[in-house]
Amino acid sequence: MLSQFGFILLFIVGAFLMLAGILGMARLLRPDKPNDQKLLSYESGENAEGGSLVSFNIRFYVIALIFVLFEVELVFLFPWSVVFGDKQLIEQTNGLWGWFSMAEMFVFIFILSLGLVYAWAQGHLDWLRPDQKVNPFKSEIPSDLYENINKKYS
Amino acid sequence: MYPILFLSFSGLITLFLGFFQEGKWVKPATILFLAIASISAFIDWNKPGAYFFNMLQVNNFNLLLSLVILITAILIVAISDNFKEIEYAHSAEYYAIMQFSLVGAIMMTNFQSLIMLFLGVEILSVSMYVLTGTDKRNLRGNEAAIKYFLLGAFATGILLFGIAMIYGGVGAFEIDAISGTLASNQAQSLFLYIGLVMLLIGLLFKLAAAPFHFWTPDVYEGAPTIFTLFMATIVKTAVVFALYRILHQSFQNMHLSWSYILAGCIALSLIIGNLSAVKQISFKRMLAFSSISHAGFLLLGLLHVSKTADKSLLFYSVSYLLASTSAFGVLLALKNERTENGRSNENISVFKGLATRSPFLSAVLIISMLSLAGIPLTGGFWSKFYVLTDAANDQFFYLIVLALLLTAVGVYYYFKPIITVFEKSDIQEAITINPIFKIIFVLTTLGTLVLGLFPDLLYGMI
Repeated sequence: MLSQFGFILLFIVGAFLMLAGILGMARLLRPDKPNDQKLLSYESGENAEGGSLVSFNIRFYVIALIFVLFEVELVFLFPWSVVFGDKQLIEQTNGLWGWFSMAEMFVFIFILSLGLVYAWAQGHLDWLRPDQKVNPFKSEIPSDLYENINKKYS
Repeated sequence: MYPILFLSFSGLITLFLGFFQEGKWVKPATILFLAIASISAFIDWNKPGAYFFNMLQVNNFNLLLSLVILITAILIVAISDNFKEIEYAHSAEYYAIMQFSLVGAIMMTNFQSLIMLFLGVEILSVSMYVLTGTDKRNLRGNEAAIKYFLLGAFATGILLFGIAMIYGGVGAFEIDAISGTLASNQAQSLFLYIGLVMLLIGLLFKLAAAPFHFWTPDVYEGAPTIFTLFMATIVKTAVVFALYRILHQSFQNMHLSWSYILAGCIALSLIIGNLSAVKQISFKRMLAFSSISHAGFLLLGLLHVSKTADKSLLFYSVSYLLASTSAFGVLLALKNERTENGRSNENISVFKGLATRSPFLSAVLIISMLSLAGIPLTGGFWSKFYVLTDAANDQFFYLIVLALLLTAVGVYYYFKPIITVFEKSDIQEAITINPIFKIIFVLTTLGTLVLGLFPDLLYGMI
């Protein structure tokens, strides 16, 4: 007698056993002769240089945060799309189901995009640039002087 | 149900109102929105029913709770003063988040399905994490926000796990279905017990009851005073009625199991809250510990499944809301007094000489302290009286004795601010009070006194 939870447990145990079996078998069968070339990053991977704890530009942070927000939105869109296209439900409700779920999702996306508009209006999407300082120094030598010299010696 | 819908949209509108005329209209608009939301609650008056596929339950008592929460929110927003104490304040965002958090609070009082309870708890807590950390340049505020967030997220995880366990044990999320299953058969699944304990842990954490109170003093002290007030009043009310619905309307047949857990928490909350508050210098920290002891008293009202439990809890909540609003409000009114490093002095000593400088403010403070201590002729006395009457039972008589003894301890520390008010101070100039503050103070103080003189006005009405 297995309850519904028991099946899930079986799956988890099965997954671990499968992994251990496959990897363990490979470990037993394969030759094990590492050299420098073999230990490099696989295919076109970059070689790691320096420590990973470097400070990086804070400007990425806000953009990345907003990006992650909209990525997470997708988590809700996928299950919705399955229910949205449910033929049985659409037939039962005479097509009303499709419109209902469509409207629901648009309300959700509308509220999310309002958030994006807010962030935009607040200026969080602007890529802040450091002020470029123009050097106030003005040379008294006219620029055609250089050109003349270049012509003369070319 | 309508306040939830309305506040979700008015919050969004508030957010964008911040762009017009430097956010001048945000505060009046928020008060207007909250007033409309309170009125919209009456659409369902005398029409009990379920909403959203039996997720929310509406009846007159639940509507009354929503009204209490909304009216408290109006009082708090009215004394909020546009967050001048916060550097680089985005006041429109704070008012919007306050409205969203109210959505969560109302969900927690009206829920029928445990999923809705979880959603409400999350909406309310996530908003509170943000509001706690609004003062970004304040180290204490940052510490408070991080502590509250990490511990709170963990507690929410336990709560969710508990809900899953209950589902595993009963196969239903609706509290009616759970109570039906409990009433029908005798042997209960072990999952149900584990789930109930986890659910209790999650909610008791949000209520700040010992032994889950460790975040309270730091968070109350670190958060801007207005949000501390929000936390002490609205969050507490919402959580205690969520607990009421779970324990009294769903798990009433398992009373023997949960009453012992509750009794332990009550004893610890009363002892830790009252004894720790004695030594505090900071007024906010003192009120934080007092809120732990008040959590104990609120749980005392939940201890026995009786018909009057809802009445006494509502009475307790209302009188506590009124007294806390005046107490924190006086601190807010004095926030320009003696600033240190740009931050206002929040120690009890800030009240020195208040009796000569502003007799009005000192009267407000004294009455609120008396009410919190439970002195007769204030709402606090009757609230304690009703809660203790409900809890009076052979089984837990020692809890009543403990509560009464520790109330005596409470009188000591609640009188410390009162004594400080009458001490002589070097500064003699009178304090000018904002007229809005005056109106709110008159309302809360009169409310406390009316509840103390005619408790039946509220108690008999419910």
